[in-house]
Amino acid sequence: MRGDPHSSRARRPRGLWLAGALAALLTACVEPPTEPLTAPLPAEVEERELPEVAATSLERRAQEVTVRVRSLGCSQFGLGSGFVLPGGVVVTNRHVIEQPREVTINTWDGRSLPVSVTGVATDSDLALLQLEEEADLPVAELRTDPVDTGESVLVVGYPGGGPAEVAEGRVLGSVDGTVLGEPAEVLRVEAEVAQGSSGGPVFDRSGRVVGVVFAIEVDAGVALAVPVETLLERLDADALVTPDPC
Amino acid sequence: MHNDTWDAATPTAAPSPPPRRRWVVVLLAVLLVLTMGAAVAAGLVAADQRDAAAAWQERATALERQRDEVAAERAAVAEQLDAAVAALDTSEADVASLEERVRTLAEEKARAEDTATTVSVERDVFIELSERVTAATSALDSCVTRLFELQESSVAAFNAAAAGDQVDVDALNRRAGEVRGFCDEARTAAAQAEAAADELRRS
Repeated sequence: MRGDPHSSRARRPRGLWLAGALAALLTACVEPPTEPLTAPLPAEVEERELPEVAATSLERRAQEVTVRVRSLGCSQFGLGSGFVLPGGVVVTNRHVIEQPREVTINTWDGRSLPVSVTGVATDSDLALLQLEEEADLPVAELRTDPVDTGESVLVVGYPGGGPAEVAEGRVLGSVDGTVLGEPAEVLRVEAEVAQGSSGGPVFDRSGRVVGVVFAIEVDAGVALAVPVETLLERLDADALVTPDPC
Repeated sequence: MHNDTWDAATPTAAPSPPPRRRWVVVLLAVLLVLTMGAAVAAGLVAADQRDAAAAWQERATALERQRDEVAAERAAVAEQLDAAVAALDTSEADVASLEERVRTLAEEKARAEDTATTVSVERDVFIELSERVTAATSALDSCVTRLFELQESSVAAFNAAAAGDQVDVDALNRRAGEVRGFCDEARTAAAQAEAAADELRRS
């Protein structure tokens, strides 16, 4: 029995190719690479925790933009808190500067700067002051999107006119503010806040202002804050009036 | 003499080898050539492999040296990093301490300013009160002086009337009215000063 001649011819070149490939494989000389080896940083370096640097910490930044407000009124002497916005604008509570004769802010590092009263809101416990001279103070950033319930926040103020204190807390939610003389809902913030923190800012974890403290539920240990949305509306000077003179 | 044996002296044609034997010779020759070619090729391949092996050996040695250098460098960097972290910790502690001191001093300064402001206000109030009291005292003093003068005029008028002289009662009454008005103003000033003192006392 003889095989197909075509088949044997077809098998021969394949055998030759296989033999050639085998020879090439055996005789192949792979030269080593010349480029230097590179590798990622070891895990212990990548995962190393560097110490917190105070200069960049949120707490420090929050304290820097928060100021102590001293208001000498016609018949009263008021102390409160506030914070600085771009353009030398200082935000505080209306009740901190009632019938103002002379208003001064104290910065965390001991500077005393005179301010004039730009105006007070008629329907909210907010007042805007203006620095009377250039001071190159750190400024706060306002958050435009709504704050979420349960969100972690920082409340900064000068309770009792003492040194600046930073209190950690969280947003409990909102309540109707009309009974408190506010035009809209106000924020309820669970944080240790004392008298003198009025006008102090409430910061989110990104360092943006989400509210302005204006009252305290003493029994519940809850601070009430004007939401930043109301502040943004009152930043328009047309929404403000000049406070009552003596 | 002839026999069957082959005579070497007799020139006869050499018998050619059988074809099969020739083929074997050719085959052996070819095999020899192929073997020699294979040996040469194997030698060349071996030389190449030797070179490659030497290159790999050199590469391995270089990498080993590089590994040792990197390990040493890494240890040095880690040491520097540890030192920097320690220095940073110290600096941070120093900064925190200094900032705390700054805050304390700032608070003291602010409180001193509060006191100065309060004292300034109180001083203004006291100055105003003092001015009112001074004005009231002066007015009352003038009132008393004018009352004495009126008293003297009245006594003189009684004496003149007793002596039978003419006395201008209307003039005396006008003067009494003027003194009354003056003293009323003095009393008002005194009441204002008293009210200011009360307000200060309450505050």
